[in-house]
Amino acid sequence: MELLLASHSSYPRIGESAEFQSLRRTIAAWEKGEKTDSDLHAAEDRMTELALSEQAEAGLDVVTDGQIRWYDPVSHLAGKLQGIRINGLLRFFDTNFYFRQPVIESDIKRTKPLIVEEFLFAKGKSARPVKPVLTGPYTLARLSIEGEGKTGGFEKALEGYTAALGEEVAALAAAGATLIQVDEPALLKNTADFRHVEKGLASLAARKGAAQLALALYFGDPAPLYDRLQTLPVDILNLDFTYSPGLVEIIAAGGASKTLALGMVDGRNTRLEDPASVSRQLERMASSLGSGRVYLNPSCGLEYLPRDRALLKLKHLATIRKTFLGSRA
Amino acid sequence: MSREKLRQLGIDLPLFPTTSVGSFPKPDYLMKARSDFAKKKITEEELQEKARQATEFWIRKQEELGVDVLVDGEMYRGDMVAYFAEHLRGFEIGGLVRSYGNRYYHKPIVTGEVRWEAPITVEWWRYAQSLTSKPVKGMLTGPYTVMDWSFNEHYPGRRETCLALAKEIRKEVEALIQAGAKIIQIDEPATSVRPEELAFAIEAMHAVTDGLSAYFITHICYGAFEYIYPGMLDIPVDNFDLEMSNSGLYMLELFKKNRFTKDISFGVVDVHSHVVEGKSVVEGRLRQGLEVLPKEIIWVDPDCGLKTRSVDEAIAKMQTLVEAAKALRD
Repeated sequence: MELLLASHSSYPRIGESAEFQSLRRTIAAWEKGEKTDSDLHAAEDRMTELALSEQAEAGLDVVTDGQIRWYDPVSHLAGKLQGIRINGLLRFFDTNFYFRQPVIESDIKRTKPLIVEEFLFAKGKSARPVKPVLTGPYTLARLSIEGEGKTGGFEKALEGYTAALGEEVAALAAAGATLIQVDEPALLKNTADFRHVEKGLASLAARKGAAQLALALYFGDPAPLYDRLQTLPVDILNLDFTYSPGLVEIIAAGGASKTLALGMVDGRNTRLEDPASVSRQLERMASSLGSGRVYLNPSCGLEYLPRDRALLKLKHLATIRKTFLGSRA
Repeated sequence: MSREKLRQLGIDLPLFPTTSVGSFPKPDYLMKARSDFAKKKITEEELQEKARQATEFWIRKQEELGVDVLVDGEMYRGDMVAYFAEHLRGFEIGGLVRSYGNRYYHKPIVTGEVRWEAPITVEWWRYAQSLTSKPVKGMLTGPYTVMDWSFNEHYPGRRETCLALAKEIRKEVEALIQAGAKIIQIDEPATSVRPEELAFAIEAMHAVTDGLSAYFITHICYGAFEYIYPGMLDIPVDNFDLEMSNSGLYMLELFKKNRFTKDISFGVVDVHSHVVEGKSVVEGRLRQGLEVLPKEIIWVDPDCGLKTRSVDEAIAKMQTLVEAAKALRD
């Protein structure tokens, strides 16, 4: 199999040195009215460039913009949509990271691009392909609540988010994205809602043009859904192995009808995996995955790690690939 | 209600006892001192002096407001997990990770066997209690949360890390009791994050509290309570300190289906909003609570620690909740 190294989604936007503290300081000053919008954007641009260069330094084949400008994975997208108000903080799944909850006040509508400009900036600064990442419509709808007036409930919210993200997928593809990732971590907490995710992805897939669509599932065990995931209208399945004791054997036994992105490097813990052990697991899956392309990436975004450790994890992907290729030579 | 237990401990509280979750904002002079200390411009003793001054400020302020069960305000702590990690063996303090928005914290890393070697919070508790005749809560972060909010490079898994921590944190609880603390709060805000781990979170709290003579409170916030309720009532404490306001009091619906069997510290003000709720809003929240919960079990406090508010906002929020509790008593 052809093993490519990829970033997952987010990357730390802070670090210990003054250079890595610049965005935090600029935001704090901007909140007090001491810095302009243009100062803020320049600081975000700079931090994005640093994220891109660290991913390149680590030898990744596919990079992201690190979601440096995102307040969180939910309000960054939902807050730009018409019909939504952003409210108080809630914990983001089982992390110690908090997002602001969208409140749906009226029909959801996309009136402007959500991340197209961010993608174009990163694309212009990167020699490697940049993968734009969107939080999926199902997860956005699950993490939203209705406002005072009845706005049609969960299914209406899902429809609204799906339509808005469909337009964004089309815009990203038109802007030159060749691989677009949609994150649906909420599915692993609500597996009975599979059909909702399937419907949403079908709508997005219809708008993707020539781009490939990846579905990322994390913060839970995808193994019980593994067979059904093969039927989804996506090109790539990006799966979190860290919650799943059985996933390697399931793949070794049954292969995959989609391209897989293997989230085998834990994006939530600093401990570096034993390269030989991961390599053996890759070997277990290799024969059933055939000669096609497989991605190796962290299990989730790397924003949950300190910057130095996040970079080590990215470099570790290359170490693991080297070990794996060495074992096959 | 565990009023009998409190009485046995020599504590007599009014209806709707008021308290706070733990942290208060640090006054500007303390923030400056912490920054100066980090830059090595002042000594540790000079920093501690400022922290003592700020602790006294908050004790006096709580007395002035009429709060019933006081806290030391955690003036000596930066972060609720890193502080304990800095004082237990087996930890390294890792780099910054984001908590939300533009807020970051140093996340500890377990790199060896964890070990309690000496009291961590006892002197601060003793100092705060020496300033008032009202009870001051002993305040700790619990083993599940220390485990969940740390990276682990030493133990095989999460359960092993959590139980190892529980054994050591118990020693701090024993030291607080020996110093005279009667009410001890063990903060476990992470408890609700992985429902499948509730069993070992309970096991860990047993390891911390079993056989010890104190009134125990645990604070849990910002999670998916629907997945751990009513199972969480098996956590061996007397009082659950819960964030009720930020979530629109939705937990009351859970309490209707399954009776709440412990005392509750009922969070009545949102700690992440600059808006100071009016007394009528807070009283309204408590009255909604009273439709489901008996009055004898309700304590009144903010949703969570107030450290992210300004000093004035924190005082105003505390004042509102004290006034609302008093209005209900009348």
